[in-house]
Amino acid sequence: MSFFDEWSAFWRLFYTNQGYKRVFSEGLKNTLTIAILGLIIGIAIGTLIAAVKVMPKYKRLPRILNGVCTVYVGFFRGTPIVVQLLLAYYVLFPMMGISLGSLNTCILIFGLNSAAYVSEIMRAGIQSVDVGQMEAARALGLGYAPAMIKIVVPQAVKNILPTLGNEFIALVKDTSVVSFVAAVDLYKVFTEIGNVNYEYLAPYLMMALIYIALVLMITLLVKLLEQLLHRGDRA
Amino acid sequence: MNDSKQTTQLIPQSENDLIVIQGLCKSFKNGKKTLDVLKSIDTVIKKNERVAIIGPSGSGKSTFLRCINCMEDPTGGSIYFNGEDLADMRVDINKHRESIGMVFQQFNLFNNKTVLQNIMLAPVYLRTKKAGGLFAKPAVKRQIREEARETAMNLLRRIGLEDKANAYPSTLSGGQKQRIAIIRALAMNPQVMLFDEPTSALDPEMVGEVLDLIKELANEGMTMVIVTHEMGFAREVADRVLFMNDGVIAEEGSPEELFGNPQHPRTREFLSKVL
Repeated sequence: MSFFDEWSAFWRLFYTNQGYKRVFSEGLKNTLTIAILGLIIGIAIGTLIAAVKVMPKYKRLPRILNGVCTVYVGFFRGTPIVVQLLLAYYVLFPMMGISLGSLNTCILIFGLNSAAYVSEIMRAGIQSVDVGQMEAARALGLGYAPAMIKIVVPQAVKNILPTLGNEFIALVKDTSVVSFVAAVDLYKVFTEIGNVNYEYLAPYLMMALIYIALVLMITLLVKLLEQLLHRGDRA
Repeated sequence: MNDSKQTTQLIPQSENDLIVIQGLCKSFKNGKKTLDVLKSIDTVIKKNERVAIIGPSGSGKSTFLRCINCMEDPTGGSIYFNGEDLADMRVDINKHRESIGMVFQQFNLFNNKTVLQNIMLAPVYLRTKKAGGLFAKPAVKRQIREEARETAMNLLRRIGLEDKANAYPSTLSGGQKQRIAIIRALAMNPQVMLFDEPTSALDPEMVGEVLDLIKELANEGMTMVIVTHEMGFAREVADRVLFMNDGVIAEEGSPEELFGNPQHPRTREFLSKVL
């Protein structure tokens, strides 16, 4: 079969038989849901971990928290995301009697996983902000947390935005393993289209194109956001 | 808790003493080495007094100043302010820092905020927090913001920079940044101002405008402690000059005494080099 024949066969399935509906309403939607919600959870938890890591350590509580965070980051960076998904979906959650469903499990695990990476990115960002900014805020009577939230973290986020964009791109592409735990994403939908007549070239090419388009859009979005945040800089 | 009450009664602070510093020590640990930067400092800063601190670099001037509002935690001694010992770690230092303004060598304006936001941030945040934080009534919040904005604009008008209210710090000159840093501290209505080498990072051209503003405050009776290398300025503004050397106050006195007739050999040596 020539490439043209394969392509027209795929196009029949994809367009004429309305396969695209499932691609968008299930595949793309789940891929984006997992990536976006995962990133949000990741940023929230990652920022907390980073804040613990840069906290002054002369009291006992920050030291204990720091130990917990180190173990957390060590586990989630030390094991592959597939292993974490399998452990959570087939072992841990059933053992604890929790049934979240595969999509929610994926969102949660991707969030926890990306938190480990975001925490390191965020820590570098916080440390890139001049200590004078924190000192000035504290000298005015603000506590550690409000000074962090109002002054340091916004400047840190500005500095690390390109790296955070990178993390989001990695996250979008990493979601292609969620079919391990029976979640339906872009990969799953296109594989099913290919399964109809065991021709995978055209469906997988189409899938690659969609991933590329997604990544290009994220790149553009990050660039716009960067311009917006850098408006306070020297012209 | 009981003994903290007892110490409160023992505070050796008379009515005209704003800050009483007793046996203040600060050492930095670097691995196994300990560096004693301040070796038992005793002094009293009276209300409306202008104190200048001079001395060679490494003598502990800045560390001493930064210990007063606990930017560096003292490792020994006491600092009595408003009836509490700031060196005691149990004391809520944030509450006291509201009344101790500080101006830094590197200005430290918030880069992510406009000039107006820089000045309004702390007063609005702290007053809103006292009014109930997130749960404060919107009307109350609005009123706090409006009042803070008015204070900020008045202060900006005073230094002639009201047209820079919505500019970001990165677009300002060093002199402008430092003057804004000063009024940012003033917006909190502090009882005392600490200046940590306020003109050391400025172009020579801009030193004058900053010193003029500090002189103005001094003439209005603001209590201030100034670490400075500007001897002429110290002489003109200060009521009392402290000469620090090697972590102790080697000599102190009125500017006339200290600059005119220094007693300590180290003071003489230092002054002969800088004057």
